[in-house]
Amino acid sequence: MATEPVQSIIRKQAKPAVLIFFLLTLIVGILYPFIVTGIAQVLFPVQSNGDLLIHNGKIAGSSQVGQPFSSPQYFWGRPSATSPVPYNAGASSGSNLGPDNPALADAVKTRVGALHAADPKNTQEIPVDLVTASGSGLDPDISVAAAYYQVPRVARERNLSEPEVSALVNSQVQQRQFVIFGEPRVNVLSLNLALDDISAEKISVPQSAGSGADPTDPPASLFGMRIADWFQLLLFILLVMFIVVPLGAWMAKIYTGKPNFFSPFLERIEQKIFLIAGVDPGEEMDWKQFAVAVMVFSVPCIAVVFFLQLVQQVLPLNPAGLSAVPPDLALNTAVSFATNTNWQAYVPEVTMSYFTQMAGLAVQNFLSAAVGMSVLVALILAFTRKSGTTIGNFWVLLTRSVMILLPICLVISLLLVSQGTPQTFSGAVTVPLLDPVNDSAGTLVTTQTIPLGPVASQVAIKHLGTNGGGFYNANSAHPLENPTPFANFVETFAIIIIPAALCMTFGAMIGSRRKGAALLIAMSLIFLPLVGLAIWSEGAGNPALSPLGVDQAPSDLQSGGNMEGKEVRFGIVPTVLFAVVTTVTSCGAVDAMHDSFMPLAGGIMLFDMQLGEVVFGGVGSGLYGMLIFAIIAMFIAGLMVGRTPELYGKKIEQFEMKMATIVILIPILLILAFTSLAVLTPAGQAGVFNPGPHGFSEILYAFTSASQNNGSAFAGLSANSLFYNLATAFCMFVGRYATIVLTLALAGSLVTKKIVPAGEGTLRDYRLLFIVWLVFVIIVVGALSFLPALSLGPIAEYMGMIAGGMIHV
Amino acid sequence: MSDGETRTAPAIPGLYRRAAVDAVLKLDPRTLIANPVMFTVEAGSALTTLLYLQALTGAGEAPAGFIGAISAWLWFTVLFANFAEALAEGRGKAQADSLRKMRQDTSAKKLDPDYTLIRGREPKEKYIAVVSSSALRKNDLIYVKAGDTIPVDGEVIDGVASVNESAITGESAPVIRESGGDRSAVTGGTGILSDWLIIRVSANPGEGFLDHMISLIEGAKRQKTPNEIALNILLLGLTVIFIAVAAALYAFSAYSVQAAGAGTTVTITVLVALFVCLAPTTIGGLLSAIGIAGMDRLIQRNVITTSGRAIEAAGDVDVLLLDKTGTITLGNRQAVEFIPVDGTTIQDLAETAQLASLADETPEGRSIVVLAKEKYELRGRTVGASETSIEMQFIPFSSQTRMSGVDQGQLHIRKGAADALFRYIETNGNSVSDELRQAVDDISRAGGTPLVVAQNGKALGVFHLKDIVKGGIRERFVQLRRMGIKTVMITGDNRLTAATIAAEAGVDDFLAEATPESKLRLIREYQAGGRMVAMTGDGTNDAPALAQADVAVAMNTGTQPAREAANMIDLDSNPTKLIEIVEIGKQLLMTRGALTTFSIANDIAKYFAIIPIAFASTYPALAALNVLGLHNGILAAVIFNALIIVALIPLALRGVQYRAMSAEEALRNNILLYGIGGLITPFIGIKIIDILLVLLGVG
Repeated sequence: MATEPVQSIIRKQAKPAVLIFFLLTLIVGILYPFIVTGIAQVLFPVQSNGDLLIHNGKIAGSSQVGQPFSSPQYFWGRPSATSPVPYNAGASSGSNLGPDNPALADAVKTRVGALHAADPKNTQEIPVDLVTASGSGLDPDISVAAAYYQVPRVARERNLSEPEVSALVNSQVQQRQFVIFGEPRVNVLSLNLALDDISAEKISVPQSAGSGADPTDPPASLFGMRIADWFQLLLFILLVMFIVVPLGAWMAKIYTGKPNFFSPFLERIEQKIFLIAGVDPGEEMDWKQFAVAVMVFSVPCIAVVFFLQLVQQVLPLNPAGLSAVPPDLALNTAVSFATNTNWQAYVPEVTMSYFTQMAGLAVQNFLSAAVGMSVLVALILAFTRKSGTTIGNFWVLLTRSVMILLPICLVISLLLVSQGTPQTFSGAVTVPLLDPVNDSAGTLVTTQTIPLGPVASQVAIKHLGTNGGGFYNANSAHPLENPTPFANFVETFAIIIIPAALCMTFGAMIGSRRKGAALLIAMSLIFLPLVGLAIWSEGAGNPALSPLGVDQAPSDLQSGGNMEGKEVRFGIVPTVLFAVVTTVTSCGAVDAMHDSFMPLAGGIMLFDMQLGEVVFGGVGSGLYGMLIFAIIAMFIAGLMVGRTPELYGKKIEQFEMKMATIVILIPILLILAFTSLAVLTPAGQAGVFNPGPHGFSEILYAFTSASQNNGSAFAGLSANSLFYNLATAFCMFVGRYATIVLTLALAGSLVTKKIVPAGEGTLRDYRLLFIVWLVFVIIVVGALSFLPALSLGPIAEYMGMIAGGMIHV
Repeated sequence: MSDGETRTAPAIPGLYRRAAVDAVLKLDPRTLIANPVMFTVEAGSALTTLLYLQALTGAGEAPAGFIGAISAWLWFTVLFANFAEALAEGRGKAQADSLRKMRQDTSAKKLDPDYTLIRGREPKEKYIAVVSSSALRKNDLIYVKAGDTIPVDGEVIDGVASVNESAITGESAPVIRESGGDRSAVTGGTGILSDWLIIRVSANPGEGFLDHMISLIEGAKRQKTPNEIALNILLLGLTVIFIAVAAALYAFSAYSVQAAGAGTTVTITVLVALFVCLAPTTIGGLLSAIGIAGMDRLIQRNVITTSGRAIEAAGDVDVLLLDKTGTITLGNRQAVEFIPVDGTTIQDLAETAQLASLADETPEGRSIVVLAKEKYELRGRTVGASETSIEMQFIPFSSQTRMSGVDQGQLHIRKGAADALFRYIETNGNSVSDELRQAVDDISRAGGTPLVVAQNGKALGVFHLKDIVKGGIRERFVQLRRMGIKTVMITGDNRLTAATIAAEAGVDDFLAEATPESKLRLIREYQAGGRMVAMTGDGTNDAPALAQADVAVAMNTGTQPAREAANMIDLDSNPTKLIEIVEIGKQLLMTRGALTTFSIANDIAKYFAIIPIAFASTYPALAALNVLGLHNGILAAVIFNALIIVALIPLALRGVQYRAMSAEEALRNNILLYGIGGLITPFIGIKIIDILLVLLGVG
């Protein structure tokens, strides 16, 4: 076969690239958010507009967004790290203080002092959520324990009896959502409004038998974890196991064009798109054409997002009147979203217009995910085909991938709206503060701005497509982006289902469910212990706070643990589960501030990414990465059984090894090289926020996240600088596209091979032995590459805490 | 394995000394670059040596003693790896040398190009020119006569001679070589015992099989095999990672010193030591030795090959095509039963049978005599008595009549294939009885060969001739099946006979009534199904199939076309050898895989030895990770890393233990031994070395 010159392929693919880009943008960037908004406004008019709290006929705030309280007669909420004023809903943020940062201990000491000063007689240990900053800075809730702690002070200040105030608190306790999700909690604004009503004698003190829980009782627990937490964890695992089989089979049907319930709808749209774009869906591509198509397609993706940001001030749907984004940041953002990374060096609320988010960023959330899925399907086709040359048509696979994501996103976005995530094109609303507060300049602030927007439609794909780019700065820690424990469960679930189900898609397409399940089991064998270890690390709390009179023990009234940077409504276990899920999947959404995790859990999140984002990994990219590790593992295993290794019947030879080795090498080299560059240059060092080894971890995390296309951050790092914008953009681009092109080259080589029939001498690539070996290879490659770096970051930090007598092991 | 045929490595005087010298010579970076892993280690050694020299001036980054010790052991690491390779080469060379003895430059009688061949006549003197054998080129004609040594490989185009091939085969009985047919190939170095031959030279000097093999071993032309290259890519990838890890650590350490405000930046010496310890030096250093040793093991079994690729392919073979005769069955059919018909007594039949076969020197004929003697207790005298009385005339087998027999006066005894005898009986006016047909059919159905015997045109009975399956071959096939190798029997027999033998021998499949075309087709079918096929062959008509097969072993007694089409030659001409070749191939790959796993698994322990000590000045808390309580962890790890190469040389040369087992079992065993073993061993080894270092007063 004569090889077509690349230039002629580019010319041929340019037209479909541009046309398909605009058609899909129209569908997922315009139609989709408008449809979601329409349905949301009809079905959930309150929730979709900021869930405003109407109290005595007046808007009193948002049910979802916390307000600052500092007067002693009010219950105080979580400390907030937003600036210039606490609970600044226009710029959500956590403190990002590392667990051993002396500034954290100082801040906690100050807060403990303030609580003691306000109520000197109260000598109880202070519940941890009352002295640690929340992840969003807008946490509307406190734990039940934190509410009880404040009862004596509020009763005294209000001239009420303690039982009266306790009864009021009890009436305000929100139990675990649907009995299972999250933590029992108290909405501080709602409680304080009720308190004012009682003082104003508008309502009477509710009769309550109390919460029924005796705070001194140790909570029911198993292996050191509360039963309630076990339920959430196991429900998650069970539901994922339950969904992957049908979801995987359905995706396989769509990719292979087999009829399914969705096909009448899908076929009609598909045909229209292909007709307009001039794509012959029957015309297959060899690997080179496929790779060129992917690269050509990246051009409008990056370019349009880049230019949208530069001209957003003249475009519609910019109610806040935001100005143009600086070019280096715009470039970083464009690359970030096109590569499925969603590294965010900006504060969205004050940087990106609704239009930029909706028609630029959210579109990339769909398209970048679809590109990853298409490349994966091409690789799967290469494994299934015998002595072929073509690996599918990129435009067909891309369109079908979008069509897989779209209906699921519709469901997720409406679920989120029902929980209180905004979905509107109206601008921010201003609500009064119940307890006005001074900003850092000493000016009295009496109102709070609740940012709105087409949030739910974007958050849905942000999770489902393992993108992770938040509509708000605090990402999924933000009470509007992730309003309830159930919403949090849905979001966590949405991150993992496609990467996990794609394993089963692979199994269905290759004709052996066991082979798909084997990869899923391998991923789970790495994932579950990491979850367990991280939960243990976070649940134990921060030993630096213990001597300050802070109660971090889990009970029925609080989740306890290391609450700095975390939200009360979720509690420790769901938060840690989210954190591990988001780092192993290359999603990068966060529902807590990773910078404030304990060194061990922080190290685990770093290591999750350093494993190559193959444990579930990004949609598509995770499984193709996993298959590449399977090639390496099978190569060594094959040698050990004495024959040229073959994976799924395809012989692994020089070319495959070359591609596989380079694919694994690229992100490792990027991470090590750029972290070195950053730590050696003033520009790199300038971004560091936390001192000591934790600061090193911030830089390492940034380049790990960028190179592996994760997008989460140790967000204390000031990443919006010329150096970081350009350096991370480079890492994201190379980490994504070099890997894709090499993977496609690998597919191009595999597809030409015969399929060796399995015999007694064939190593079964679905048996436990191979699964364990694969796990071993993945962990060893990750560990050997990054153990030294980790030992100067999280490990040094952790060992330092042990040596400092803070942690006893 | 047929150990009796294994050629033991000759004791080589000065083998180790020569290997030691070669190890030093191989330090030349120009040659070492072929092994990228060890090349980087050498670069590291050179770098630390410079640092040592700098330290001697008092401006070193660390105490000169420490840098010097690290540097020395890094050099040892390279030297040990070189030594392993040199040792393997030395042993291979010794093997090859013993083969090459017959390959010495000899004089050859070259025939003038003007000479025209006259069949059966020796060339005249004037056409003969004596030249050096190295001057011979392909297609030249040479003349050899009794007492000459055949100078080069070639094909007999005229003459018949007995040839002593014991130098190659070890078999002392001379063999006949003649033009045409399956006995026309001659090997350089063998000697003519009688008569003369005209030989067409089949290869330019240096291109013969043996030359190929010698160059494969000697390294000059040694090309890496596909699997070796693929493995090298992985090792190179790991090496690049570890270079990056070590280089990045310098930056990370410098930053950490600044951030912690304590300690000093890690020294380059330590980073080089860390890199060398992590780099897959164990497998990298032994890789070529493993490959050479694989070829060496092949030579020890008297198999020579033209490519290392073929040995690797042998490990992948999943279909073995085996000739029935000689491989699965003893060479020949043997009589197992006499069945009298038409009222003949068994005694009469046996007697006649013996008589008819007395002069039949074929193995079948002899087996009839033996059967008559052993089973029917016919003594020689019975025969002898009749022998003296009347002159006997023996009728040899001819392809026209397809019968043989004996005439003794009026007594005409004939034996032969059933259809031929039926015709003979009918021409003599007798009819073929149903009893006879029944007996013939019964034997055929049982997979045997019926041989009808008739006296004066009247049937006496039938001999049941049967293929005898070789002892132990069935068990061998069971083993092969466990290894995932399918065995296919190739035979010219009819389906019925073939099926019976196939069932008895336990092969998976068979090809009956095989022709060269059907063999070729069968191989192509298997290959199209993704399988790797190995076969043996000797005849010219095997050549196309041999050329098609992935692993093709030609018998040394085979024809030149067969030998050229093959990629291995079995000097013993033993068709069972194929099984051993497969095992050698598998063992070669397994040794590579096992040592790769071992090498990588080692790294975990080395991290624990080096990292805590390297960064202790910055983060003293990391000292808690020094789980072994080492005092000289870095030096101990480097020493261990060097010594483990030496310790594993025997394994590399011998190959890992190989037993027939399924892939799963093999993987499990090797992971346990080399994976888990590779994790644990360095912890123990480094600790012991550290204790010894302390005892020696280091550190």
